[in-house]
Amino acid sequence: MLRNQCVALLSLLALAWNSQVSSQTVVEEIPRTAEGTPRLDGIWQALSEANWDIRPHAAGHALLPELGTFTAIHPGLGIVEGGALPYQEWAAARQQENFANRLELDPEGKCFMPGVPRATYMPFPFQILQTPDLVMIAYQYANAVRTIHMNDPGPAPNNSWMGWSVGRWEGDTLVVNVTDMSEQTWFDRAGNFHSEALRVVERYTVLSPNHLLYEATIEDPDVFTRPWSISLPLYRRVEENIELMEFKCVEFVEEKIYGHLRKQSDE
Amino acid sequence: MSKGKLHGYCVYFIIAMFGAIGTVWSQAPPSFDANYEPPRTPSGQPDLQGVWSNAILTPFERPEEFGDQAFLTEEQANAYQEQRRQQTFRGDRTVDVETDVSHAYNDFWWDWGTELARTRRTSLIIDPPDGRLPALTPQAQRRREARIARRAEHPADGPEDRLLRERCIIWDGNNDSGGGPPMMPSAYNNNFQIVQTEDYVLLLKEMVHETRVVPLDGRPHLHDSVRQWLGSSRGRWEGDTLVIETKNFTDKTYYQGASEHMQLTERFTRVADDVLLYEFTVNDPQAFMRPWTAQIPTVKLDGMIYEFACHETNRGMVGLLSGARAEEAAAREAAGN
Repeated sequence: MLRNQCVALLSLLALAWNSQVSSQTVVEEIPRTAEGTPRLDGIWQALSEANWDIRPHAAGHALLPELGTFTAIHPGLGIVEGGALPYQEWAAARQQENFANRLELDPEGKCFMPGVPRATYMPFPFQILQTPDLVMIAYQYANAVRTIHMNDPGPAPNNSWMGWSVGRWEGDTLVVNVTDMSEQTWFDRAGNFHSEALRVVERYTVLSPNHLLYEATIEDPDVFTRPWSISLPLYRRVEENIELMEFKCVEFVEEKIYGHLRKQSDE
Repeated sequence: MSKGKLHGYCVYFIIAMFGAIGTVWSQAPPSFDANYEPPRTPSGQPDLQGVWSNAILTPFERPEEFGDQAFLTEEQANAYQEQRRQQTFRGDRTVDVETDVSHAYNDFWWDWGTELARTRRTSLIIDPPDGRLPALTPQAQRRREARIARRAEHPADGPEDRLLRERCIIWDGNNDSGGGPPMMPSAYNNNFQIVQTEDYVLLLKEMVHETRVVPLDGRPHLHDSVRQWLGSSRGRWEGDTLVIETKNFTDKTYYQGASEHMQLTERFTRVADDVLLYEFTVNDPQAFMRPWTAQIPTVKLDGMIYEFACHETNRGMVGLLSGARAEEAAAREAAGN
């Protein structure tokens, strides 16, 4: 409960700041680069149940009964504005199939790069390194990494798992257009999905030295009837000597992916 | 073609083939301008940022033909460079279609480099002075033999039997070099990117998108009980040289025969606008009879690193294991079952 109240409070604070009520104090409080832009550098993490389901959802059973509470669904208020996702009819059915078959289908379970925005609210820290020309984000999960180009590099040569990111500053907010993503990533473990037509506009706003507001608008006319938005706070990992540790998960999924191709002992 | 040598997953996002590196090296002097002043970041650090290539024609160990010669003369270098270019050239398509297809890649895809080291050194190894890897300790030798025997007996029983790069865990250089860091060149995509802030250096190796975010604040390494594929890296500036010390490796890598106790020291010095001198020392008394050091003058590229989604599209592993199962089935059938 406390956590969710905190989310609401932070959102209110962000609204207040966006409407410039207290812009003077903000300028003084948040760390800034030599160029004057807010500093996003640091190790951040979402404190959210959104990776289970970005929509409001109750607790639920684990993937397999013998797992007990391990992988039981953690309840969450959701991060989607308005709660529901505007799926086209066929897509709503597809999401339910995805959910039913998530053990097999969820790309997270195969150690695939999570794409955007899912990488942001997975239960792993990520690190932002900010320079005037580019902003790099290194994610602990799967050693995924992406470059946000602050100087438009032109069109993407191909689709990729983490997408093609071009950023700009709008006041104190870093706005990132993410395009050219693989259609194979999901939004969460609930099977919420998209097509290759996905376009994400992310907004990173510094709320305090230890909080960012993350907002994203998702557009995918092949799957949804209209654009929709998510927002959630990101928290700085303030532990002494915090660092990204290694989660190179390929070895954890080799049995799952290739197990059926193993040599059988009686052969 | 050996199984697994030319697997399919590298074709993804290899648009990043920076073929033409430049041809200025042939007349270059064997050493770098000692008075070179690197560009600096706003905080005053030498600016090492950008994309660098470690593709190079200079062999890892000194070829026997060069005896105790550590440096080539200019004339020798020109001749040897041409010889190495011929050896690595895969552009000749005057073969029948079957051979052509079975060789899979032509010269466009390979990235062996087009130049010898500007230093005209005869090997990447600069210490010991003979330019050769020091002998393995008896313990490390036994480990290597056990690994080779295991691989001969169980070439593809399961994914764990295959090379780390075929598993998309670590791109471990050419042949069976057993891991990294250090960042060694291999057959293609020999690119890495450096991003600097005042407190961190990010190293991104294109192959398998291996990323290390290295703190520069003098903190201790991870607890000794924590072991990672890429180890635990800590950096510092020594004058204008970035020094990164890495330890806490696992026993699942074996870089050139090293053990999990390997201590790696990497040094990055910008010695010219277009050259980042990359030097590394391997110190592992349990594996090598003495420490050793290699040096690669890496070259600046005007391009960017593209995503290398290796594991996500690893059809190669499916092919390798399926092929092994099919061979076993054929052998059983031939044996009359």
